[in-house]
Amino acid sequence: MLGPWRSSVSFFFLAIAPFVSAGHSFENTAIVRTVELGGTVVHVTTTYAVKALEDGSNIYTIALGQKEHEATSALTAKIKGQMAPLEVEKLGAQDGDFQLYDIRLPGYLKAGGTTNLVVETVQTHVTYPYPEEASQKDGQSLKYEADLLVLSPYDTAVQRTKIRSPFPQIHSYTEPNVEFTEDAPVTKSGATLTYGPYKNVFPSANKHFVAEKQQRIYVHYSYDHPVLEIVKLERAAEISHWGANLNIQDNIHLRNAGPRLKGHFSRLEHQSQAFFQRSAPHMLPGLTLHLPAGIRDVYFYDLIGNVSTSQLRTAPSVPKGSQNTQFSVLELKPRYPLMGGWNYSFTLGWDSPLADSAGWDQDLGKWIVGVPVMTVIPGTVIDEEELKIILPEGATEVEFFAPFPALNDELSTAVTYLDTTGRPAVTLRYKNLTDTHAGIVYVAYKVPFSAHLKKPLAVATALTGLFVLAFVWKRVDTRIQK
Amino acid sequence: MATTTAYQVPANLSPTAIANTSSLLRIVALALISAAAIASRLFAVINFESIIHEFDPWFNYRATKVLASEGFYAFWNWFDPTAWYPLGRVVGGTIYPGLMATSGVIFYALKAINLPVDIRNICVLLAPGFSALTAWATYMFTKEMKDESAGLLAAAFIGIVPGYISRSVAGSYDNEAIAIFLLMFTFYAWIKALKTGSAFFGTVAALFYFYMVAAWGGYAFITNMIPLHALALILMGRYSGRLYVGYSSWYAVGTLASMQVPFVGFQPVRTSEHMAALGVFGLLQIIAFAELVRSHVSSKQFRALLFASVIGLGLLGTAGIVGMTYKGWIAPWTGRFYSLWDTGYAKKYIPIIASVSEHQPTAWPSFFMDLQFLIFLFPAGVIMCFRQLRDEHVFVIIYAIVASYFAGVMVRLMLTLTPVVCVAAAIAFSTLLDTYLNPEQPEEETPSAAVPSTAAPSETSSAKKGKKAAPAPATLAELVSNATGPESTKRKTGIFGLDTRLLVILNALGMLVFFVWHCTWVTSSAYSSPSVVLASANPDGSQHIIDDFREAYYWLRQNTPEDAVVMSWWDYGYQIAGMADRPTLVDNNTWNNTHIATVGKAMSSTEEVAYPILRKHDVDYVLIIFGGLIGYSGDDINKFLWMVRIAQGVWPDEIQEPNYFTRTGEYKIDDQASQTMKDSLMYKMSYYRFAELFGGQQAVDRVRGQQVPKTGPTLDYLDEAFTSENWIVRIFQVKKEDLLGRDLKSANSFDQGKKKKRSKPSSRRRAIL
Repeated sequence: MLGPWRSSVSFFFLAIAPFVSAGHSFENTAIVRTVELGGTVVHVTTTYAVKALEDGSNIYTIALGQKEHEATSALTAKIKGQMAPLEVEKLGAQDGDFQLYDIRLPGYLKAGGTTNLVVETVQTHVTYPYPEEASQKDGQSLKYEADLLVLSPYDTAVQRTKIRSPFPQIHSYTEPNVEFTEDAPVTKSGATLTYGPYKNVFPSANKHFVAEKQQRIYVHYSYDHPVLEIVKLERAAEISHWGANLNIQDNIHLRNAGPRLKGHFSRLEHQSQAFFQRSAPHMLPGLTLHLPAGIRDVYFYDLIGNVSTSQLRTAPSVPKGSQNTQFSVLELKPRYPLMGGWNYSFTLGWDSPLADSAGWDQDLGKWIVGVPVMTVIPGTVIDEEELKIILPEGATEVEFFAPFPALNDELSTAVTYLDTTGRPAVTLRYKNLTDTHAGIVYVAYKVPFSAHLKKPLAVATALTGLFVLAFVWKRVDTRIQK
Repeated sequence: MATTTAYQVPANLSPTAIANTSSLLRIVALALISAAAIASRLFAVINFESIIHEFDPWFNYRATKVLASEGFYAFWNWFDPTAWYPLGRVVGGTIYPGLMATSGVIFYALKAINLPVDIRNICVLLAPGFSALTAWATYMFTKEMKDESAGLLAAAFIGIVPGYISRSVAGSYDNEAIAIFLLMFTFYAWIKALKTGSAFFGTVAALFYFYMVAAWGGYAFITNMIPLHALALILMGRYSGRLYVGYSSWYAVGTLASMQVPFVGFQPVRTSEHMAALGVFGLLQIIAFAELVRSHVSSKQFRALLFASVIGLGLLGTAGIVGMTYKGWIAPWTGRFYSLWDTGYAKKYIPIIASVSEHQPTAWPSFFMDLQFLIFLFPAGVIMCFRQLRDEHVFVIIYAIVASYFAGVMVRLMLTLTPVVCVAAAIAFSTLLDTYLNPEQPEEETPSAAVPSTAAPSETSSAKKGKKAAPAPATLAELVSNATGPESTKRKTGIFGLDTRLLVILNALGMLVFFVWHCTWVTSSAYSSPSVVLASANPDGSQHIIDDFREAYYWLRQNTPEDAVVMSWWDYGYQIAGMADRPTLVDNNTWNNTHIATVGKAMSSTEEVAYPILRKHDVDYVLIIFGGLIGYSGDDINKFLWMVRIAQGVWPDEIQEPNYFTRTGEYKIDDQASQTMKDSLMYKMSYYRFAELFGGQQAVDRVRGQQVPKTGPTLDYLDEAFTSENWIVRIFQVKKEDLLGRDLKSANSFDQGKKKKRSKPSSRRRAIL
C-alpha cells in the first residue's frame, strides 16, 4: 500500500527504452537556456525547439551533465504555452558523465513536425560565497559554476545560454574558447550574460564530447540578500479528531550559508549600520513567513525557551474550495542577527482547525487530510527534511499521496497523550527541497467509531478502578486487633 | 435562651449532619487553599513564560534532564567533566538528589500512562505543586496544636505568604521547593509520634526525614530541632514512654536512612552538627533505663545512687563527644555554621559565603514584606501556646525562638521561620475568632438560669457560622468538647452583644483582606521575575522583554565549538552550563575557593598577567555582564570588589583591594579611577569600545552614574566576539599565541601599523658606517 507511485516494473522497461526509441529521431533547431542566479537556489529554464525526423516519434531525450544532475533537485518538462507537465523518466546511469531523461510528448510527431519543449530545473548548492570570508562591513559575492554547453543526444542547429544576475554587479565571468562560433563567445549587457549563439553542435550526450568539448564556466556576482540554508527541517503534523485540530510543528536548523564572518561580531558596528540603514548584506535580521490562514496558538521557541521577538498577523480561515489568497504572516527574529556562517535552530508550531485541511471522501469512505510539505522561505534550500504525519489513534487503511516521490517512507507508531494502542504515523524523508516543492501530502485513512471511544473508555476505566480500590480500602477493616 | 446567645442559631441539627458538613467544608476549604497556593505562584509563568529561574535551578534542571534522559543509575554515577574545568565534578556524590528524583519519578509516572510532559514543565511546576502539599502538611501540623479551624487558617497563611512564595514560584526549581513540605510533614509526624507514642509515626517521621536529607542541606535544622524539643521535655520533667518510643524510632531509622545519601554519608556520626541528636538519643536510653530500674526498686539510697550515675553517665558521654572532636574523629563545626553565630565571621574568613546576597543579615522591613500582619500575630500565637503548654506546644515555642534568631542572621533562613509564623499566627487568629464568633454570652449577675437546653443549639450555630467565613472556626472537636460539658463550667467571662463581635470580626476580616492583597502584590511585583529575562515597559505601556542573557548563551551554544571553555564569574556558571551547554571554569557550586580565586585574579589583573592564566586553563571565551548601557545594576563591575577580595585571599601579594580605589577611597570607573582599576581585565572588557557608542558625546555609565573616559581601553590579548543587544552580556575570545612568536601586544601594534618605539634609533647601522 505504501508508495503507490513506485512502480519498479515500468522503471525497468524504461531503462532499456532509450536504446529502442531514442535513435536519431529528432533534431534541435534551437536550445535556449536561461539561468536565474540566486542564493542557494538557481532556477534554470531550457527551451528546446524540436523537429522530429521520423514519423511517430514521441520520446524525446534530454541530457544533464553529471554535476548538473547532482545539483538538480527538481525537473519539470512542459510544452511551451501549456500548463500540464509531461511525463519524465530518468534513465539508468551513464558512466558518471551525464544523465539522460526521457520525456514523453503528448502526441506523436510526424517527420518534420516541430514542437517547443520547456524544461525547468532547480539547482541547489551550485553557488558558493567568494571570497569565503567577509567582515561586517564587506559586501557579499557569490560564484556560480556550470557547464558551458547544453548536452543533447541530437544535432543542435543553434544554442545559447543566458545567465541573469538579480543584482547588476557582475564582477567577472569566464570567456571561453568555443569552436562552434565565429563571434564573441560571450556578451554582457547589464546584469545578463549571454553565452552563444553556438551553431551546429553535433550530438553531445556521449563520453567523447563531454571529455573533449565541454567546459566549465563561472560567474562571480554580487548578491545583496542573505544566503540561507535549512540544514535540517523536522516537521511533525498531528491530526486530532477529538480536538478537531491539526498541529504542525517545525524544528528548523537554519544556517547562514553566506561568507563566513571575518574576525568577530561587533555590536557597535552592527548598531551603527542599523542606524544608518546600511546593514551588511549577508546579515539576516529576521524572516517573514507565510503561514496558513486560520491558525492559532502559534509558538516560537528554541532550546532554551520562548523567543519573544516575533510578530504575528493571523488571517481568518478560508471556506473550503475557495481560492486562498490570505496568509497569516509571521515576522520572526532569531535571538541574534544571523551573520555569515552562523547557525540558529528553533521550533515553530501552530494549531489550525482540522476542517481547513481535512475532508471526508464519500467514494473511498475515508478521511483525507492535506499536510503541506513545508513552509516556504523564498530562495532557501532545505538540505534534509523529515515529515512525520501522525494520524488519530486507531486509524486504519492508511494511504498517502505525495506531490513528488520521497527518498524513503515508513509507517510507525507514535504513542502520546493517554493513548492505549498508539497512533499510526507516516514518515517521509526528503533532500534538497526548494520553493518549487511546496506541495501538499494527502493522507487518506479510516477511523472506526470504536477507535474514537478508546481514549474516554481507557480513562474512565482507570479512574473507576481507582475509585473501586479506594472504596474497598476504606470499607475493608485490615486491623489485626479489634 | 435569648439572653444567653448573642445571635439566633438553628436548632435541631443532628451531630452526624454537623460532622459531615464540617468535614466536607474542610475538604473544600483545603482544596481551595491548594488552588490559591498554586495559582498565586503562576505569575511568573503568565507574565513571562515557563522558564527556569535564577542560577541554582538551572543546575537542578540540567541534572534532572540527565536523570530523565539517561536513567537513575547514569545520574547517580554522573561525572560532569564540563564543570570546574579542568577538574570536573562528581555530580552524583555532591548533590542532594531528592529534588531531581522527585521530578524524575513524576516524569516517568506520567510517561507510563502515556502522558508525555516536557521535563522542563515538570521542573517549573514542581514548586507550586509542592506548595499545595505544604499547605496540607501545615494544616495537619496546626491541627495537632489547636484544632481544625486553626489548621485551615495556617494552611491558608502558608499558601500565600510571600516568605514562602519567594522560594517557590513556578520556575524556582530549587531544593527549598520541596523541602518546606518535607519539613512540615516531618514535624507533624514527630508531633504525632510524640503524642501517641507510636513507633509507626516515628518511622513515618524518619522516612520523611530521610526524604528531607536527600532533598536539602537544611535538614540539619530538623536534626537539631527534634533533639532540642526532646531535651526540653526531659528537662521539664516530661519524660514519658511516648517520648522514648517516638524519639528512638525516629532517630534510629532516620539516621540509618540518611546515611544512604552519598553526599551525607557518615556525617551523622562524625560531625558536630549531628551530635546533639546522638547525645539526646543516648540520654534517653539512660533515662529509660533508670526509669525501668526505679520502677522495680524502692530504696531511697539506691535511687540517689542511680541519679548520680545517670548524671555521671551523661557527663561522660558529653565529655566523650568533646574529646572525640578534639581528637578529630568528629569534625568540628563548619564555617557556615559559625557564621550563624557570628555574622561578621564569613566576611573575615570565607568571603565567598559573604559575597552571596542571601547570606546577609535580614533587614527588618523584609520581615514585614515577607510576613505582613502575621509577624504581629506571631508572638501572640507563641504566648497562646503557653496557656496550655502541652508537649507539642513546647515544640512550637522552641521552633519559634530558634527560627526567629536564624531569620535575623541570614536572609535566606526567613524561609524556615515562615512556617512557624503561620502556625503561631493561625493559633492566635483562630483563638480570636473562636472567642468572638462564639454565640454564648457570659452569665450576668443573676443566679444561674436553666442553661442545659441551650448548649446543643449554640454549638451547632457556631459550626454553622463557620461555614460563612473562609476559615471555619468552630469545628467538630470544639463542638464535641462543648457538647459534653458546658453545664458545669458556666462562663464567667466572654463577650456581650453583637456590636462588639461585629466590630472585632470585621476588623479581623479586614486584616485578612489586606494580607491577601499584600501577598498578591508582593508576589507579582517582587518574587515572580525569572532574572534570566528582564522586563521593561515600552512607551505605550506594553511589556518589553530584555532577553540579553539568553541571546548570548544561545549564541555560544550555536556558534562556538562544543568544547570551547567559557570563563565567567561563578554566578553565571550554572546558567552557562544549562543554557549555553559549554564547559565552565567555576560555577555556583562554590566548592573550590582557589579555582574561584584564580578566576578572580584573572579578572582583576592586567592583560599580561591574566593571559597565561587564561591559556593554562584552556579558556576560549570570557563572558562578562555589563549593565552600564541600560542600567542593569547586578553587573560584574559592581561585583568586581568581591572578585578582588577573593583573589586577595589567595594571592595577597599580587592583588590588593585598596589599589582599586581612587586616592580618596572611592570606587570609580571614570577618569579618576586608579591605574590598577583601569588596567584590570574586567574594566577593559566592560568598557571596551563603550565610549564609541555615544558618537563623540560624553559616554555615561548608567549604573554608576559616572562619565566614562572618552578614549576607551584597548585589548591586545582578547578580542570581542559577541555583545548582546543591550550590551548586558559581552563575550570575548582569548587569542591564541602569535604564529610568529611575538607577544600579542607588539603583534597587535604591528597590525595597526604603529611603529615600534626604539630607544636607540639605528645605532647599529651607524656603527657599521
